[in-house]
Amino acid sequence: MNLNVFLMNGYGIYVWSSFLLTFLVCLFLFLKTRKTLKKLEKDFIKETQSLSQQQLKDIKKQKIAKEILVSHSRT
Amino acid sequence: MIKFLNPSYIFHLTGKILNFIKIFIIPIIVIGIIFSLFVSPKDYIQGDVARIMYVHVPSAWISLLCFALISFFCILNFIFKIKSISLIYKSLAPIGLTFNFISIFTGSLWGQPTWGTWWAWDARLTSMLILMFFYIIFIFSYKFITNPQKSSKICASISVLGLINLIIIKYSVNWWSTLHQPSSINLVGETTVHFSMLIPLGIMLFGFLLYTALIFLMKYRIETIRVKKRGLKKL
Repeated sequence: MNLNVFLMNGYGIYVWSSFLLTFLVCLFLFLKTRKTLKKLEKDFIKETQSLSQQQLKDIKKQKIAKEILVSHSRT
Repeated sequence: MIKFLNPSYIFHLTGKILNFIKIFIIPIIVIGIIFSLFVSPKDYIQGDVARIMYVHVPSAWISLLCFALISFFCILNFIFKIKSISLIYKSLAPIGLTFNFISIFTGSLWGQPTWGTWWAWDARLTSMLILMFFYIIFIFSYKFITNPQKSSKICASISVLGLINLIIIKYSVNWWSTLHQPSSINLVGETTVHFSMLIPLGIMLFGFLLYTALIFLMKYRIETIRVKKRGLKKL
C-alpha cells in the first residue's frame, strides 16, 4: 500500500487534522442538535399528558402540535 | 402563496425536507472526501497541503453566507415585526459560528506549513476573527435578553455592524497587503483554480450546504417547539 497517500509528503498531519476536526465539529453539532430536538419533543409530550381532555383536544387541532406528537411517536 | 407562509405548513415541510436531506448527505460528503483527498491533483506550488482548501473554503463561504442571511432576516424582522422570522435567524447563527470556527482553525493548519506561522494579524484573518465575535455577541443577545422587542433591536444593530465587517472580509485582500491570497474563484472575474480542483470543491460545498440545511431545519423545529411549549404553559 502506498503510504504516501496518507503521509502526503509530510503534510498529512495538517491535511488529516483539518478534515478530522471539521467532521468532528460537524458531528458534535449534529448530535447536540438532535439530542435537544428529541428532548424538547419528549418534554412537549410530557406536558400535553398533564392537560385535561378538553385542552388536549384543542391542542390536537393545532397542526404543529399534532405533528410533534406524531413525529415523536414515529421515532 | 399564503400556504407557504403558514407556520404549520413550514413546520410540516421542514420534516419532509429533513428526511430527504438525510438520504443524500452522507453519500455526497463521502464522494467529496474521496475526490478531495485522493482524486484531485496536488497543487503545483503548495503540494498536498492545498487539499485543506476543500474544507477551509466552503466553511468560510458558508460562515459568510449565514451572517448575510442573518442580517437580512434581522432587518426584515426589525421592519415588519414578524415573529417567525426571529426563529430563522436564531436557527442560522449557531451554524454560522461553527463554520466560522472551522474556517479559522483549518486556515491556521494551512498557514503553518505555507506561511510558517499558525496565526498572523493579517486583515483577512483578523476580520474573520471579528466575525466570530459578532456571532458570539449575536447569540448571547438573543439568548440572554428576554424582552423580545429589545432583543430584536439589539440583534438588528449587531447584524448591521456585522454586515460592514462582511464587506471588509471580502475586500480585505484587495485593500491591504495581506499574507492571505486574493480570491481565486470569482463569479464575475477570472477563476484561477483548475477545473480538476473545482469539482471536489463544488462537491464539498454542496455537501456542506446540505449539512447547513439539515442543522438549520432541526434548529428551526427546536425553536418552533419552544414557542409551542410556552403556549402550553399559558393554557
